Amino acid sequence: MVIPAVLILLLLTIYPFIYLIYVSSHIWPISPTLPRIFLGFGQFTYLFQDPAFIESLQVTVNLMVVGVTLQISLGTLLAILLSTRTKITNYFTLPFMIPVFISPVVVGLIWKFMFNYDLGILNYLLEYIGVGSINWLGTPRNAFWSVVIIDTWQWTPFTTLIIKAGLDSVDQTPIEAATVDGANRFQIFRHVTFPSIAPIFTVALLFRTLDAFKAFDIIYIVTRGGPGGSTYVLGYNIWKTAFYQNQLGLAGAMSVIMIIIATILAFILVRIMKNLLERE
Amino acid sequence: MFPIYWMVVTSLKNTVDIFAIPPKWFFSISFENYWYIMSDDSGFLKKILNSAIASTLNALFTLLLAFPAAYSMSRYKTGGINLLMWFLSIRMIPPIVGAIPLFIIFSKLGLVDTFIALPILYIIINLPFAIWMIKSFMDEIPKEIDESAYVEGCSTTGVIFKIIVPLIRPGIFATLVFCFIMSWNEFLIAYIFTRKEAITAPVGVARFITERQILWGYITAGATLASILPMILLIIFQKNLVRGLTLGAVK
Repeated sequence: MVIPAVLILLLLTIYPFIYLIYVSSHIWPISPTLPRIFLGFGQFTYLFQDPAFIESLQVTVNLMVVGVTLQISLGTLLAILLSTRTKITNYFTLPFMIPVFISPVVVGLIWKFMFNYDLGILNYLLEYIGVGSINWLGTPRNAFWSVVIIDTWQWTPFTTLIIKAGLDSVDQTPIEAATVDGANRFQIFRHVTFPSIAPIFTVALLFRTLDAFKAFDIIYIVTRGGPGGSTYVLGYNIWKTAFYQNQLGLAGAMSVIMIIIATILAFILVRIMKNLLERE
Repeated sequence: MFPIYWMVVTSLKNTVDIFAIPPKWFFSISFENYWYIMSDDSGFLKKILNSAIASTLNALFTLLLAFPAAYSMSRYKTGGINLLMWFLSIRMIPPIVGAIPLFIIFSKLGLVDTFIALPILYIIINLPFAIWMIKSFMDEIPKEIDESAYVEGCSTTGVIFKIIVPLIRPGIFATLVFCFIMSWNEFLIAYIFTRKEAITAPVGVARFITERQILWGYITAGATLASILPMILLIIFQKNLVRGLTLGAVK
């Protein structure tokens, strides 16, 4: 009875993928009346010499690494804080999870408003405490960090939740034994708790890494890739090339490269998940 | 939580108060943004309706495909762990990558900007999730229950509808709701595959950013309206939804 599900997914993924490779070897305008020109691997060799493409790869990786590192570290910290006070946690979980369940478009728009130079509440508060206004989205560096802040705000609840679930399932006996032996809290975390939550920790890490790799919505809403290409992530680059600059073929070639990277990441995730499931 | 509070508060201010410096903490509540949003001029209610149609259809399609697959994988271990992982890896494909070939194919089929395009496309995003989610609920029902039913002469259909379905009803609802919310919030695919008739709420809100100005009052009101439903559903189904998000890792 898995056949309908498998067939539908094959139809919606494998066939388009083959078609994508075909498209990526052509100059392919959106309008069906314009001619398509066969180029073979031409667009791939072009892309690897295109500084804008290389830069967008770079930006994607930077955003991914910085954002995910922050979300995991903050998530771990919060998970440890929350898991020690179980009763309060239950009241916190619901409001805490809201950012994850609302549209990234909404999240992007709220923050864009708060980051606004003249009207934004953040600059007002900064003025109020005497720090002075920050041009949140105006300079390349600030815009990059603003996007990181938004992504972290939306997804830290997710990492916290997963890591907390890991912490809650840790067997308490060795921890008590270690306490009796005189280990301090950091030593216990490092040598007892961490090894037992390491797999679930990795799952959170990889899930977020793959999602961060797809980044588009918030970038589109908040920065449109700018200023100066500082947030010009791969997903946005592909969208713009295809549907704004009307070059489906070139965008197709970028997509092929993106799929290859995503496959490698997914392969690592699958390996770890598999080990995790087989151990149970 | 503050950003969400600020969004709702801003949506209830009149235009003058929104642009007031310093920002007003206390103000007289005005529904002017909501009146505009709900009027025929903005057409926003139609976009909300479109979102509802696309999300509901997708949730139903996904469930119809996911339930039999999950049943077979849970009870007969069909495809084993490799099939389960194949589904997971589909979930990891960046949607933009599929958008280009699918856009060309859908254009040829005349499906762009129709009500059926998004429900079909969202299957790619939601089906892997739904299978994992339903399977994790089914795995919790001991097989002995099925077996004793068979012994008493129950058919497979009987076991499924009289035993499994009632037992995992919360799981099925949570899966439907989860697919619904994911479709409801989706932006990129909706933005590419709709033009005018089938535009969804997130695309509608994003369109309030115009070349000349950003209509903050309308944006915050639209964003609030677009977020109410997911928030209510989250309140009702909280635990099981969270479980879906983490593919059953959090129980």
